[in-house]
Amino acid sequence: MKRKTEHPEPTARELAGPRYWRSPDELAQTPEFQHLLEREFPEGASETTEADRRTFLKLMGASAAFAGLGLTGCRQPKAYILPYSKQPERMVPGVPIYYASSQPDCKGNIPLVVETHDARPTKIEGNPSYEAYGGGTDVYAQASILDLYDPDRLQRSFVKGGKQFNKAAATTQLSEISKIFTASKGEGLAFVAEPSTSPSRAKLVEELRKAMPGAIWAEYEPIDTGNPERALKAITGQPLRPVYDFGKASRILALDSDFLHAGSAGLSHTRGFAQGRKVKTKDEAKNMNRLYAVESNFTLTGGAADHRLRLASSHIPAFTALVLAEVIAQMGGDAELAAAIKAKGDGLQVKENWITECVKDLVEAAKSHGALVVAGCHQPVEVHILVFAINAFLSAAGHTVSYLELPENDAATLQDVAQALESGDVDTLVILGGNPAYDAPGDMNWSEAQQKAKQVIRYGYYDDETSELADLTIAASHYLESWGDGRTADGVYVPVQPMILPLFETLSELELLQVLATGQGADDYAYGFVREMYASISGDKTDLAFNAWLTEGVLENSGYQPVTDLDESVAGLAAGKAVGSAVFTPPTLGEDKLEVRITPSSHFYDGRYNNNAWMAEVPDPMTRICWDNVISVGPKLAKALGITPPTILMDEIGQLHMNANKFKRGKEQAPMGTLKINGVEVTGPLHIQPGLADYTVIVTLGFGRRKTGRIGTRLANRPGEGTGIGFDAYPLTTVASPALALGAAITVLDDAFEVANTQQHWSMEGRAILREGNAQEFIKDTKFAQKMGVESHSPPILGNARKDPLSEVVTEIPRGGSLYKTPEFTAPQQWGMVIDMNSCSGCNACVIACQSENNIPIVGKDQVLRGREMHWVRNDRYYATGPDYPTTEIPEDPQVSFMSVSCQHCELAPCESVCPVNATVHDEQGLNVMAYNRCVGTRYCANNCPYKVRRFNFFDYNKRERGEFYKGPLGTNVYKTEASQLTRMQKNPDVTVRMRGVMEKCTYCVQRIEAAKIDQKVKAGASADIKVPDGTIKVACQQVCPTDAIAFGDVADPNSKVSRIKTENDRNYAVLGYLNIRPRTTYLAKLRNPNPAMPDAYEMPLSRAEYKAKSKAVSHDDYGDHGGSHDKADGHHGSHNASSSHAEPAHADHPHDHPHPH
Amino acid sequence: MANIFPKWTNTAPLKAIACLLLFVGTVVAGVTYYATPKWTEVGHQPIQPVAFSHYLHAEQLGMDCRYCHTYVDRSEHSNVPGANTCMNCHNQVLANDDRLAPIRESYDSGEPVPWVRIHNTPDYVYFNHAVHVNRGVSCVECHGEINEMEVVYQAKPLSMAFCLECHRNPENFLRPPDEVYNLNWKPESAAAQIEMGEKFVHDWKVQPPQSCSGCHR
Repeated sequence: MKRKTEHPEPTARELAGPRYWRSPDELAQTPEFQHLLEREFPEGASETTEADRRTFLKLMGASAAFAGLGLTGCRQPKAYILPYSKQPERMVPGVPIYYASSQPDCKGNIPLVVETHDARPTKIEGNPSYEAYGGGTDVYAQASILDLYDPDRLQRSFVKGGKQFNKAAATTQLSEISKIFTASKGEGLAFVAEPSTSPSRAKLVEELRKAMPGAIWAEYEPIDTGNPERALKAITGQPLRPVYDFGKASRILALDSDFLHAGSAGLSHTRGFAQGRKVKTKDEAKNMNRLYAVESNFTLTGGAADHRLRLASSHIPAFTALVLAEVIAQMGGDAELAAAIKAKGDGLQVKENWITECVKDLVEAAKSHGALVVAGCHQPVEVHILVFAINAFLSAAGHTVSYLELPENDAATLQDVAQALESGDVDTLVILGGNPAYDAPGDMNWSEAQQKAKQVIRYGYYDDETSELADLTIAASHYLESWGDGRTADGVYVPVQPMILPLFETLSELELLQVLATGQGADDYAYGFVREMYASISGDKTDLAFNAWLTEGVLENSGYQPVTDLDESVAGLAAGKAVGSAVFTPPTLGEDKLEVRITPSSHFYDGRYNNNAWMAEVPDPMTRICWDNVISVGPKLAKALGITPPTILMDEIGQLHMNANKFKRGKEQAPMGTLKINGVEVTGPLHIQPGLADYTVIVTLGFGRRKTGRIGTRLANRPGEGTGIGFDAYPLTTVASPALALGAAITVLDDAFEVANTQQHWSMEGRAILREGNAQEFIKDTKFAQKMGVESHSPPILGNARKDPLSEVVTEIPRGGSLYKTPEFTAPQQWGMVIDMNSCSGCNACVIACQSENNIPIVGKDQVLRGREMHWVRNDRYYATGPDYPTTEIPEDPQVSFMSVSCQHCELAPCESVCPVNATVHDEQGLNVMAYNRCVGTRYCANNCPYKVRRFNFFDYNKRERGEFYKGPLGTNVYKTEASQLTRMQKNPDVTVRMRGVMEKCTYCVQRIEAAKIDQKVKAGASADIKVPDGTIKVACQQVCPTDAIAFGDVADPNSKVSRIKTENDRNYAVLGYLNIRPRTTYLAKLRNPNPAMPDAYEMPLSRAEYKAKSKAVSHDDYGDHGGSHDKADGHHGSHNASSSHAEPAHADHPHDHPHPH
Repeated sequence: MANIFPKWTNTAPLKAIACLLLFVGTVVAGVTYYATPKWTEVGHQPIQPVAFSHYLHAEQLGMDCRYCHTYVDRSEHSNVPGANTCMNCHNQVLANDDRLAPIRESYDSGEPVPWVRIHNTPDYVYFNHAVHVNRGVSCVECHGEINEMEVVYQAKPLSMAFCLECHRNPENFLRPPDEVYNLNWKPESAAAQIEMGEKFVHDWKVQPPQSCSGCHR
C-alpha cells in the first residue's frame, strides 16, 4: 500500500542549521549534520524513573492515560536531507578527514592529527610523524577539544560592564589604539603575553616593537619552567635548553623532578624512559634502565622509580651538592673542589650510603654514556648549574642530554610591568592571553597594580578574573580555529591549522598582533603570514612544499641545533661559580615549620583548563581525587595533627588495618585545615598522602577560581551538585619562590569536607592482581608472573589445551570446566589486547582519549561521590608496603603501581550469563558487546563483573544539566538549549550517545574496528582479501599512549604484534585468570630494577613480598606451578578429584573466592 | 442466610479472565502485526520539493545511480546530489522550467533543497552503503525498483528482521559486481541465483555479521 504524507515546509531556522555552525563550505547544510541532529535520542523517551517510587507510579498512570494521544508518534518523524548547493571537492559526507596541526604551548607545541567529521573537529590524536612523541599526546591536548565547544567561552568582545561587539568592531577599536601608540612610539604602553614558540608571532612582535619602541613587552607563565635555561645562560651566556634522551639512559637520577609528567617535553621523556623498560628476554632485563628518584611530593616519576628517597624540596640543593661532590670524588677529580662542594651540603641527613651507592651506579653507567641526572624545573638555578656539572662529569652531554640553542628572547617579566604600573609609567596595558589577575604570584598584588593603568585591554578565551578588571576584552579564537605555527620542545617547526572557521566573533593571536602592529586587519592575513614564515624557514616557496608541510605536520631537520663545544672545563667553572656564591644549608623543618610545595594541578594545570569538565573529573593519578584540590600531608604529619583515621578490623585473620583517609559510606571525609604562612592563609581539605617527605605539604594550583565558567564555579546552592571546586593556592606563591614556601603551619578545623576520591582502598592486601617482580628475579625465572595467584593452585585454566597456540585457543576455546554456553568465534579475526605495566607511567591520557572518542559524559562531583563516574578506562593505583610493615600504620614509603583497567572482553564473560535480556552478548570476533537498546538496566552484569568495569547511566548525564539530574523530566532538557548545540558538536558521530538506564563499558573501540573492516572489504570488493592488516586499527587508548604500553590486534593471527607480545613474553598473565573467564585483555607484569648495593634495596617488590608472606602462611613453601600435577589427573577440569588435593587449606591470599568449579 | 451472590457469579471470574485473555491477545496480535516497520514504514511516500522522477532519469535515460549518488561506493552515506549536479544538465535541458525553480534557486543562493527523508533507519543503526555495493549487494535489495518509481517511496521495511534475512543467507541476494547498479538485472532462476550466490560467498569470503556489533556501536 502507498500512503502520501504532506510535510510542513522546514522553517528558515531549520534550513540554516544551528547558528553556531560555521565552516568553509557552508556546512550548515550538509545532510550529515542534519543526520547528526536527528541522531540524538528521541525526546521524551521514558523519563519517569528519575523520581522516587511514588512519583514514578503517578507518572506511569498519567502516561498510560496519555498513551492514546501518543499513537500518532508511530509514524516516521519528519526529517529533511539537506545536500550541498554546490558539492565541494574532496569532501565525502560520512568519511572523516584528518588534518595535521599542533597544540600551542609555551615551551613546545604538541604535534597533532585532528579528526574532523564534515569540518567539525571531534577527536585529537598525536601526530606519529613526530617521532619523539610517536603519536602520543598528554591529557591536556586530548581535553583541549572540549574547550573549543565550551558554551562558557567568550563569544564576542565587550567593553567593561556592557556593550558587546563583533570581530570587525573589535578590529576597529584595536586599530585606533594601534594608531595612537604608533604615533607616540609606544610610550606608556605595556604588553603582557604568554610565552609562545611561534616564529610568526615572534616576527610580528618584533614589528610591533619596532613600531612602538617605547612599549614594554613582557611574557609571563605562572608555572615557571625556565630555571634549567637560566642556569645554562648563567654558565655559557647563551640561551640553551637541555633536552634529555631517556631512551639512551640506563641509570637516571631525578632530583625532585617529575620528568614523566611535566610539560610537553614530558611526552618524549615518558616515551624514552619506557623504551628502556621494554623487556622481553633475559638480556633485555639485564639492560633495563634504573631510576633513582629523590623527591618531596609523590609523583608519577617517584612511582616509576626503582629507588625512591623522600626528601624535602628545600633540601634538594644540599643533596645535589653532595651528589656532585661524590661524583667528583668517584671520578677521581679534584679532591679539594669535591670537599668544598661537599661542605655546602653540610647539615643534610640522608640514609647512609644512599648517595655513595647511587653515584657508584651512575659512574659505572657513565662509562657507556648511559648516565643522566635531571632536576625539577622549580629547583633554584644553582641546582641546575650543579646538575649541569654532574652531567658533564658523567659525560652525559651529547648522549643522554644535549643542549639546544634557543632563539634569543629579551622579553621583560611580569614583575617589571608591575613595577612600571606602580610607578605610573603605564597608561595602557595590553594583556595577551594568560590570566594574571588570578595566577600572578601572591605577593605581587597584580590586581591592584593592573587597576593603576588607565586603560586595560585584555585578549582572552574566558570572562575571568583578569577580564573583570579590564576595560576592553577581546574574545580569543581557539587554536583549532586559528592559523599559526610553532616549534616543538626540540625546535621542530610545526603548523597550527584551523579545522573550522571561528565559531564566534573572535580573533586569533596573529590577527590581533597584526592589527596592533600595522593598524589594520585582514581576514586571510594569518594564513599568508604563516606561509611566508614557512618559506623563510624552509627556504622553499612552492605550494607543494607548503602543502607537504601541512600534510605531514612537521618540517624535517628544522629542530634547534645542539651546541657541541661545551666541555668539562666549563662544567668545572660552573660548579666553581655555584660554590662561590650559593648557600645550600638545608632549612630546618618541623610541624610548625612546614615546607609547602606548590605544584600545577593534574586537572587544570595552572588554571587554564579550569572550565574543562573532562579535566575536572579525571582522577589525579596519585591521590585519585577529582573535582577538588586538597592539602596533601604525609602520614607522620597527619599523626602529629591528629587527623589519622582509627584502625578498622579488616580481614578474617583478625588483623587490624587502616585506610589512609577516613571514609564514611565510601566518601572521603577530609578534615578542613588552614595553612598559614607569613600571614597568608589558605584553607582546604587535608588529605593524607603516603610517600610525602615528612614535613612537606603539597598544594595544587588552578582551583578556587573567583570568576570562571560553569564547571570551575562552586555551585553549592544547587542540590545534588556537591560543594567545592577547590581552593586557590596562588596566594602562597611569591615572585622569588613560585613553587616552594617555607615556614608554614597547619591548624586543623572542626569541619569535615567530602572529597570525591575514586579509589578508596589503596592496597591489594597481598592478592596477585597486579604482578610485579625484580629484574633479577625475571632473569632467574622469566615465568614468575604466571606462578602467582590462585592459578598456581587451581587446575590449569585451559586444561591440556593450554599448550596450544594462542590462535587456536582463542577460536576453538577448549571448554574446560565451564558451565556456560560459549559463543562461537567464527570471524576470521579475533581481537585482543595486551597492556605492559612496565611501560605505563599512569599519566591518564588513555582515560581522556577514551572519553573523547566514545562520547562518555561527565557526571559531576556529587555523582562521583556516589561512585557513578563513567570513565570506561580507570587507572588503578596500588600502594604496597611489604609484610613487615605494621598494618595499623599508614605507610610512609610505599611502592606504587598503576594498572589501567577497562573491559577485558572475557571469552567466557560472567556478565553475559546473568543478563536477562541478552543485552550483553559476544559477537563472532570475540568482543563482548553491549546492545544499548536491549538493556533494561538491571545492573546484574555490573554486579557479576569481576573487574568492575561496567558503567551505568543512573541519570541522563547527556540530557540533563549537572545538578539537575534529580529533577528528572522537570529539569532542563539540554538538547533543547543553545549550549548543547555547541557541546554536541564534539560528539563522535560513530558512537551512540547513551541515555539513562543503560549499561555501558569499553567496546574495544568497535567503531574503529568496524570502520577498518569495512574499508578493507570495500577495497577487497570481489575478492577474498578481507583481513584487516595488523596495525591498521588503533584503539583510542592505544593511539594516545606515549609509551606504547597498549597493543591491540588480531589474536587469531600468530604473527600479529599483539599475539607475539602475548606468546613470546613470559610476563604475560591474565588478571583474575583463575576465574576461567579468559579475558582477551592480558597484562605484562611490572618489573622493578633495584640496585642490590643500595641501603634501601629490596629482594622483591613490596607487594610481592607481602603476597609471598601471606601465601606462605598457608602451608605453601613456594609458589610453584601446581598446574602440572593436574595434567595427568584430569584433562577433564573441575572434577572433584582434581580440586580435592587443594581443598583443605584456606588460601589466605584469596579468601573471598575459591576457584574450583564443583 | 440468603445468598448474597446469585448463581451466575460463579462463572463470572472465568468469563472475565477469558475476555481479558481475548482482549490482551488481540492487542498483542495487533501490535505484532501493525506496529512493525513492515506495516508502518513501507509505502511511505512524501511529496518532494521537486518532482524528480527516478523513472525518467534512471530507466528511460538510463543514467547510472552513481552519477548523482556519487559517494555511495565510498562512504557509509549515499549522498543526495547537490544542486550543481542537477545543473550540469539542467542549465540546458528545461533551463527555464518552473518545476526546476527550487534547484536553480538553490544553485544561486547556496541554500539547500529540502528533500524529505524517506529511508530512515533508527539512530543506533550504523548502516554502511559502501561495503554493501562493493560486495555484490544491489541498491534494489533495500530500495526496491527505484528505476520504476515516478515518486520514490519506501519499498522494504528496513527492519532488523529484514536486514538479518540477507545477513543470514547472503547467497540469496548477492549478484555479480558489475550488475549491482543495474536495477533490472534478474537471476536466470532461483536455483541459478543460489548456485552463483554460494560461489560468491565462498570466493569472496562473505561473512555478514550477525551479531550486535556489526550494526550497533
